[in-house]
Order: sequence, then C-alpha cells, then structure tokens
Amino acid sequence: MKIDGACHCGKITYEAEVDADGARICHCTDCQTMGGSAFRMVVPSRVDGFRVTSGTPRIYVKIAESGNPRAQAFCPDCGTHIYASPAGDGPKVYNIRTSSVRQRDQIVPQFQGWHRSAQHWLPDLPSIPKVETQ
Amino acid sequence: MKFDGGCHCGKITFEAEADPEDARICHCTDCQLLSGSAFRTVIPTVEDGFKLLTGEPKVYVKIAESGRRRVQAFCEDCGTHIYATSVEDGPKTYGVRVGTLRQREQIVPRLQLWCRSARPWLDELEAIPKIEKQA
Repeated sequence: MKIDGACHCGKITYEAEVDADGARICHCTDCQTMGGSAFRMVVPSRVDGFRVTSGTPRIYVKIAESGNPRAQAFCPDCGTHIYASPAGDGPKVYNIRTSSVRQRDQIVPQFQGWHRSAQHWLPDLPSIPKVETQ
Repeated sequence: MKFDGGCHCGKITFEAEADPEDARICHCTDCQLLSGSAFRTVIPTVEDGFKLLTGEPKVYVKIAESGRRRVQAFCEDCGTHIYATSVEDGPKTYGVRVGTLRQREQIVPRLQLWCRSARPWLDELEAIPKIEKQA
C-alpha cells in the first residue's frame, strides 16, 4: 500500500510503501515515555520503502532491550514522531508512526506488541466518560 | 499529589503537582499526530505546579481549534513530549504528558476529550491480539 504523510508543522513530508497487515500497537515503556501517552502505533514499510520528500528529521538513537541500536526520527521543529528504524547503513524497514500517515483511517492495528508493559487501565477504556469536544 | 518525570535521554527532568483525578485522555487530531499514538494521556498541574529541574525543552506553538495559541514542549535531543501550556504570561497550568511521569502506573484517566476524532478501533482494543514482548 502506498502512503504519504507529514509532521504537524509541515516541514517534513514523506512517502512510503507499507505492509498494512503489519500495523501494530507498541506498549513498550520507551514508546510510552517518548510519546507521552499509553502506547504508540506503527506500520512497517517494505525494505527501503520509505522516502523523505522534504525536510530532515532529527535522529535519536536508543538501545533496545535486545541491545540493538534503534534510530528514532522526529521533526526538530514541532516534535512530531515520524519513524523508527535500525541505526546504521544497509537495507532497512522503517516503522512509520501511523498517526502521521494521511491514509491513517485505512490502517488498523493487527496486533499489540510488548503487552506486558501495557497500561493497566486500557481494558476499561470504553467505560471512561467521553466528551465529544473540549 | 507530587510527581516527577523526565524525557527518554535524561536531559530534561521535572517535578509537578497535580490532582490524579484530573487525568484525562485527549483524542484530538493534534495529539494523535504529534505523539505518534492514538491519543495522549495528560494530567493538568495546579497553577504554576510545574518545575523544571534540568534541561530546557524546545517549544512549538500550535493554534488550537479555538484560535488560542498553545505551547507544546518537547526534548529537542530525544523528541520526548513533556507538556502543553498557554503562551500568555502569568500563572498557568501545564498539561503534563503522563507517559513521562515516573508514577504513571498510579494515574488512571478519568475523562476522554475530543472523542469525535477518536480512532474507531479503540472500542475493540481488547480484541486485538496481544504479544507479551517483541512482535
């Protein structure tokens, strides 16, 4: 599936070819901290199937539990998270943050990773009172 | 209740005072986009109840649907989102991103805002297959 997306301020735009069946939620504690939320969602690109079309994301390299260095890309101006990928050279899959994808309504998470650290209240989400706007 | 937290790389650390009963989820499209998630979890501090201990966040100002300008603060080194607040001078509350708090396990959202833009699959979240570790 071909997609495209952008950060909030519009400085960074990209296009990608992704495997929508690989779309997932990540409950790892790094995703919780960096996103400031309960979890993040990603959709994996084909190998090297990601291209920045404007702007240059800033890269932060974290060390995963596996010991692998992982590049975390975000917009240096507005802070929108764009993707994660293996650090270094070579062909790679880009895990694109689904929220920045223009076609995000067509991408539904198919599984939930790192569920052992999921926030404990998530099963009760449907019963937390809802307000349509502010 | 007093809280403390920081960004992923450790450059920014802070402490905050907030009422856990005020914790909320925000489903607005700006929160979705900026965080890379389906929504953000936020806890508003008491007035001026946020104190930076180390580091200085980068500030991005967005225009809310109301027309108001809102400061979005994040770590420019690791990209961790820290808080949102008003641009005006004077006393202010800070909407702290719960994911950055050391005590986040103790904070349960009491309210969901901007549900009109909530991701439709969230109602079936529990039915989405779960894997304990890496997928």
